[in-house]
Amino acid sequence: MTRWLVRRTLQAVVTFVVVTVLLFVLMRLTPGDPLERLAGDRQMSAEAVAALRHKFGIDQPITTQFTSFVAGALAGDLGVSIEHYPTKVSTLVLSRLPASLLLGGTVLLLTFGIGIALGVFQAVKRRSRADRWLTRASLTLYAMPSFWLGLVLAWFFGIRLQLLPVAQMHDPLLDPDASWLVRTGDVLRHLILPAVTLTAVSLAAVMRYQRTALLEVLRLDFVLAARARGIPERQVLWRHAWRNALFPVVGLLGLWLPMLVSGSVFVEQVFNWPGLGSLAADAVGARDYPVILGTAMLVSAQVLLGGLLADLAYYALDPRVRQA
Amino acid sequence: MRRTLRPAVFLLLLASPPAAAVAYGQAATRLETVVIVGGQEPASPIPTLFANSASNRAVSELLFLPLARLGPDNVTSGDKGFVPQLARSWTRRDSLTLVFEMDRRARWQDGTPVTARDAALAINLARDPAVDAQTALLMRLVAEATAPDESHLVVRFTEAYDEQLYDAVYHVYPLPAHLVDTIPRGALAKSAFATAPVGNGPYRWTRRVPKQQLELTAYDQFFLGKPGPRRVLYLTVGDAEARMNLLLSGDADVLAAPGTVSSVARVTADKRVRVYPMPTTIVGYLSFNQRDPADLNRPHPILSDPAVRAAIVKALDRRGMVQATFGSWASVPEGPVPQLFWIRDPGYKPAAADPAGARAQLVSRGWTDSDGDGVLDKAGKPLALTLNYPSQDAARGQLALQVQEQLRQVGIRIEINRLDGPVWVERRNRGEFDLDFAQGAMDPSPAGMVQSWSCAGRGGANKAYYCNPKVDSLLALALRAPKKEALSLYRQAVRTIAADAPAVFVYTLTTPMAVNARIRQVELIPVAPWSAVWRWAPGPSR
Repeated sequence: MTRWLVRRTLQAVVTFVVVTVLLFVLMRLTPGDPLERLAGDRQMSAEAVAALRHKFGIDQPITTQFTSFVAGALAGDLGVSIEHYPTKVSTLVLSRLPASLLLGGTVLLLTFGIGIALGVFQAVKRRSRADRWLTRASLTLYAMPSFWLGLVLAWFFGIRLQLLPVAQMHDPLLDPDASWLVRTGDVLRHLILPAVTLTAVSLAAVMRYQRTALLEVLRLDFVLAARARGIPERQVLWRHAWRNALFPVVGLLGLWLPMLVSGSVFVEQVFNWPGLGSLAADAVGARDYPVILGTAMLVSAQVLLGGLLADLAYYALDPRVRQA
Repeated sequence: MRRTLRPAVFLLLLASPPAAAVAYGQAATRLETVVIVGGQEPASPIPTLFANSASNRAVSELLFLPLARLGPDNVTSGDKGFVPQLARSWTRRDSLTLVFEMDRRARWQDGTPVTARDAALAINLARDPAVDAQTALLMRLVAEATAPDESHLVVRFTEAYDEQLYDAVYHVYPLPAHLVDTIPRGALAKSAFATAPVGNGPYRWTRRVPKQQLELTAYDQFFLGKPGPRRVLYLTVGDAEARMNLLLSGDADVLAAPGTVSSVARVTADKRVRVYPMPTTIVGYLSFNQRDPADLNRPHPILSDPAVRAAIVKALDRRGMVQATFGSWASVPEGPVPQLFWIRDPGYKPAAADPAGARAQLVSRGWTDSDGDGVLDKAGKPLALTLNYPSQDAARGQLALQVQEQLRQVGIRIEINRLDGPVWVERRNRGEFDLDFAQGAMDPSPAGMVQSWSCAGRGGANKAYYCNPKVDSLLALALRAPKKEALSLYRQAVRTIAADAPAVFVYTLTTPMAVNARIRQVELIPVAPWSAVWRWAPGPSR
């Protein structure tokens, strides 16, 4: 187990380093100058732009820039944002992380919670009217662009019914000294529409995975044997069949874990949710190299960690993997 | 209560606005707050030092006052028609010297009186190209500013001209010398003053959440009166639809420039919102590159011919395009003349499009469709041009498509390049374009035309490298002439530019300012839209 874990971790670290180098180089090759844009709608002299370029170190050769970036990163310093000078990248990323974790975590919880439950229900009631309608409904939602669904929900619940906030994570009018209960309620109210939007468009995948996996397991001999032994159907389903039908869903969860931090750029923008997705999108638009790199590194790390955790889960759940 | 019902009840409570409002105890706060939503973040709304974006400049009006403001007719020439602010009055010592008397009631928000020293410091900072090269260029005719005592500011100019007062009060706002003077200029951006500025206006800085919101609170000791709205929140929302949703849901009160004609129609259809027209200094134009993008030392192979440029202008139905894109919120300008310019000819009517005449003009210059492919050509080279515009501007995108189609009909092939903002800026600055769809907010003074349309502006704001010494001479004469004569000279300069066709002048905008109907006494000052917010009267939702 230890050797396997060390090998797997080393693979992840190497992948992470390669991804970081590629990101660094590709970003510098992308057209668009962050400093000319930084001048805003006023003119800047060539000398002023050169001075700024020097200040941010982007007048140096790419190897020097990379060396100083790596030295900084190893010391926990990802540099300073060009767009939000003099704010540090780590400060910006950390300020956006809670919002991303909250939205991503809620969506993962809802998607997998509801998706697994509905997938099991569909497998048990296979070919019933409910199974067919659930399939149609989930695929319809799956086919919808998330930003479009978000806009429709915002219009209906926010503008038409005036029930829910249409954007932001907090009510800007909320008293900064409000109690934690009031603050929590406020965040939850703002969370509903973006979380429902993202959950709705991603639910179908989990439902389909779970339904298919469970149907395959329910056909196997050991399920028949369990039933023959007189074990109650509920126990057959959940203790015997479902546990064995969980592996594909665990793999899917590993793939989706990066959503915890990356969120959805479109949904974050439609609801002005202050997460890392919109930070990264804004940084790309502004060619804010340090912020792009900081957020991309975080997402890469999350992807690799997600894969590692999924492998670990397989390892723990499936004795065949342990024996291999 | 049954366990299964609890989550549903909890969700209902969360979703119920009255319950939430009571829980927040925010009903009273809401009444007293004005929430402005915009797309650009006002990260450093400090005039003179960091006013490098429209949002910074607009929000700085809530925090800082100038010595005087432009009057309602926006005339930038002469010493009359300006509205006193921090300066109670001004007199002319001679043709080169203006003396301002400061209003002694004015205070910085930390209680320190606003003095002539504050104004002198700001003017002298603005003259320093290291602080801001463009402001220094605009202040080039200011020789020095001194404060012989606390109440009097003396501004000396290098020559006599009619816009001295405008130059002294429009580009520069006084800054607190007791806070700024001690900061090394290189450290201003990181200083405590830059992160939490102390102003002298109706609102003081309370807090800022980067990329999200800026909160300002009423400054009750404001010497011109007690602000009506107790709080002003500026929300930064990047997505245009999200901004619109915030306005229509009532979560935001003010939205400037909702966008294209369909967006404006959505706002005007909502009875909870009122739309106020606000003339601007914005002009949108298609620049013709005078230089060959492949070799900037050579003239452009197609567009250096004025007859070709004029034919392109003639071929386009500018009125139709502007009407289709902006409805009644824009008009076709005579030249680089926005709606707010006092030299604007109100009787100007753009010539009707003449595609047949344009084609004939091109044929007379040797451009014919020799291979029958629908595109004119000369010496084996097609009349094909690229048109660059920034992807984030939907209106320019719509207009670019119309330009492409209308020019196709006269035999000109246009390849549209929809570019990411930084790439568009980079190509523009490098001269890598044939046609560039630019939009600029100009200074209210027609003297500002020097920046983009004079030979001296080449390499700066004059990206297309247009140069006509006659225009330079007319602009220079106009600057020094008295108002009536200046008007005639400026109009002559504009007509000369239009005849040279260095660009297709497509539109000048009136911004629709959408304001929630609960706000009364709405007054919007065109060049400083938020400067009168303190006189607004927010009330309960309708």
